[in-house]
Amino acid sequence: MIGAIIVKIAFAATIAAMAFYYLSYRRGSEELLRLARTFYLTAAAGILAVAGVLLEAILNHRFEYYYVWNYSSTDLPLSLLISTLYAGQEGSFLLWGMFTAVIGIFLMRYSSRKGYEKELMTVYAAILACLVLMLVVKNPFKFIWEQFPGELLKAGEAPPAGMNFMWVDQARGLWSQIPVEGKGLNALLQNYWMVIHPPILFIGFTSMSIPFAYAVAAMLKRDYVSWIRVATPWTVFGSLALGTGIILGGYWAYETLGWGGYWGWDPVENSSLVPWLVCVASIHTMLAQRKNGSYIKTNFVLSLFCFILVLYSTFLTRSGVLGETSVHSFVDPGMWVYWLLLAIITAFGALGFGLLFHRWKEMPVVPVEHTLLSREFALFLGAATLVFASIFILIGTSSPIITNIIKGKTSAVDPSFYVTTTLPLGVALALLAGLGQLLWWQRSDMPTLLRSLRIPVLLSVLFTAVTAFLGATHPAMIIFIFASAFALFANLIVGYGIVQGNPRLAGGAVTHIGIALMFLGFVASAKYDDVATVNLVQGRPVSALGYTMTYTGYKPQERGRFAFSVEVEKDGRSFVVAPVMFRENDEGGLIRNPDIVNLLTKDFYVSPLSLEAGEQAEADQVTVTESAPVSAGGFTFRYLGYEFAQSAEGGNVVRAKIEVESGGKREVVVPVMNNRRGEVSFETATHSSGMTLTIARMNPVKEKDRSSVTLAVGGVHIHREAEAPAPDTLVVEASVKPFINLVWIGTGFLIIGFVITIVRRWQEALRNAAWK
Amino acid sequence: MNGKMIAGIVIILAALVFGAMTFIESNVEYMDFAKAERVNKKVQVKGRWVSDRETQFNATTSQFVFYMVDDNDKEMRVVLDGGKPNNFEIATEIVAKGRFKDGYFHANEVLTKCPSKYEGDGSAVQKSL
Repeated sequence: MIGAIIVKIAFAATIAAMAFYYLSYRRGSEELLRLARTFYLTAAAGILAVAGVLLEAILNHRFEYYYVWNYSSTDLPLSLLISTLYAGQEGSFLLWGMFTAVIGIFLMRYSSRKGYEKELMTVYAAILACLVLMLVVKNPFKFIWEQFPGELLKAGEAPPAGMNFMWVDQARGLWSQIPVEGKGLNALLQNYWMVIHPPILFIGFTSMSIPFAYAVAAMLKRDYVSWIRVATPWTVFGSLALGTGIILGGYWAYETLGWGGYWGWDPVENSSLVPWLVCVASIHTMLAQRKNGSYIKTNFVLSLFCFILVLYSTFLTRSGVLGETSVHSFVDPGMWVYWLLLAIITAFGALGFGLLFHRWKEMPVVPVEHTLLSREFALFLGAATLVFASIFILIGTSSPIITNIIKGKTSAVDPSFYVTTTLPLGVALALLAGLGQLLWWQRSDMPTLLRSLRIPVLLSVLFTAVTAFLGATHPAMIIFIFASAFALFANLIVGYGIVQGNPRLAGGAVTHIGIALMFLGFVASAKYDDVATVNLVQGRPVSALGYTMTYTGYKPQERGRFAFSVEVEKDGRSFVVAPVMFRENDEGGLIRNPDIVNLLTKDFYVSPLSLEAGEQAEADQVTVTESAPVSAGGFTFRYLGYEFAQSAEGGNVVRAKIEVESGGKREVVVPVMNNRRGEVSFETATHSSGMTLTIARMNPVKEKDRSSVTLAVGGVHIHREAEAPAPDTLVVEASVKPFINLVWIGTGFLIIGFVITIVRRWQEALRNAAWK
Repeated sequence: MNGKMIAGIVIILAALVFGAMTFIESNVEYMDFAKAERVNKKVQVKGRWVSDRETQFNATTSQFVFYMVDDNDKEMRVVLDGGKPNNFEIATEIVAKGRFKDGYFHANEVLTKCPSKYEGDGSAVQKSL
């Protein structure tokens, strides 16, 4: 109850902060500004308090709250229990709002020193207000009896002793039974990635709103030039946070969810990649604007789109518009999210682009003064390529909406769409990432450029020749490998030079080294991977893909999981992997987690498919084929054939003629199967020894001598001893992913490069306190 | 209009045409089995699993075989490359992506749609009392 009230207070405070920031901007009043700050801090404290109240309810298993009941349970370890705070729709908006509120406090102080606070925080508070509005509309503190009044609400006599209940309205004698256990967290989410991935991703989402807020604030202030310097550290920070979130999601999919790869071109992944690409593009055009003053409008457009695309991404993945075209079987949250998100996108789009339209004419036009052979032009082309990539991915991801509008039926594009469209752009990006570093600002002369190209091109040709020799001979891949190698060597050479001089300027080179390594890793691990489905009979070594695998048995683990141990051996080194399979719950589906042998040059990836129980030789059954007699327990069974007849009642009768030989005596026994309108019954036949034969299964085949029958034998034990059950078979999909470590090492470089750049731009922005 | 401008426009147009063509080519359309049998391209069919017919994983070919009815109640044998999809038994609806081949539907992906957790599902709450 208290939580719902604080949500409303926080919402009111956010609206007040927005209003007073706006008033202080219009009137230039410092007093109103102080008031606005107080309201903003109140709102931030309120949102943190909301999270605290919800967390307390989760930790103490207060299942009277629908949200707590729906996403958590008492058997979760503490870390996962905390993660249920953002496992649901409402909670994830709360997490997003919480980061937005907290980062806003830093932003407030930073922007006030830059003279940007009033305008910036007006926009930023409006963004926060929308996130809190989500919580007002979809209250995370809804009581469970409001969700299930029919099942839980009782009136009249007091509840029986020992029942878990709460008074809803004691005066009217209204009470509700309270569940003692929650539904629990989706099993796919129950691992440590759930603890770290969403927070980082939401920090990324939050930071995408900062370039937007700066762009709008700059237009309000009619500052079309210096805002770039104020905003750049935040834009790079946004790229860092969102990029890290995306990569972690990919690693989660690879390492735990068993998608087989780190990237599935799934709408959820794509829709956070699109704003990231645009944000990265804007870093490049901002850099160009710093140098020569051009690309003013481009920077506004890109900065606005960073946030609009995050909103669109949220709309795509949360509103249910993708329907069943996504692997993430998202549940339909109801129309409220759909319309509210649409309204928020429209509102911010109208604000940003309306203002841009209004100011368009008065923005200074700085003629582009650089030549085609200049770093500025390479930056522009790089940004344009990134934007094209984001447009293609956006169109592909929106294909369910597009096809719905055009054809009235939703359908998605095949993942091959993304590969086909982004591969040429990837080549262009890699070439530009190398070339751009070798070009000078303003202009480069051809001879100098050719001289500096010599070594990286030579090295790349050698590198490509080696990879082609190793098997990478697909024409498109040769081009991509060459371009990526060129980016790598060019940036290594340039980066080495920079580090010798001033390492703090090395951000660009380090990031591009990271991108080049990632591209090479993508080619090796996704194009040149080897996959095989392998049946592992327990205890029997099987060779596949150059590895020897032996399934040694399974062990139960915590929370109903089973780990299947597989010994993997190669060149005398052996490893044990233990992929996991388990049932989500009683009626739930099978969840499979892969396991990986991480080697320096490759990953050996083992993904479980199924466990086939060994066929148990049933002690008292015997299967006889017409052509082959079977001996067991001193008897020889011969299947002479079957007779098929119509019974008097209109059904079918099948008589199996079995000749039983024992002690030299032959006797024919005829067990019978009746089939009357689908109702099957059996008649047991008895041998003179007292042994009974009943048909268990029949396999009548027209071809001569191929029919078989399985008989249940009673009265005697025909098998000398119970045979040991046949071993189980573990079916796995094994794959070798060469050089996948390049992807992770590249990611490391990318992150370090971003951090170096943030530090550099941050210090630069702090030094220049004069822009007001 | 100068040369640079024209070159830029040509590049943009080429990119858009390339994107549109790839889009049309790789758009996996929804259709029923009857229509899917006529067109020779990758499509997707929505329907339900026929639980009382043969449903098994073939370990030798590592394919999962089952029967599915589309929304027009046409029953079809579906052969999926790979193991049984997650949540297969509890799915209220399944979508098979693939193409027709020799009288059966050869799928390379099967998506499952699970019963919504947001529905006012009273049975779940009664179980947890």
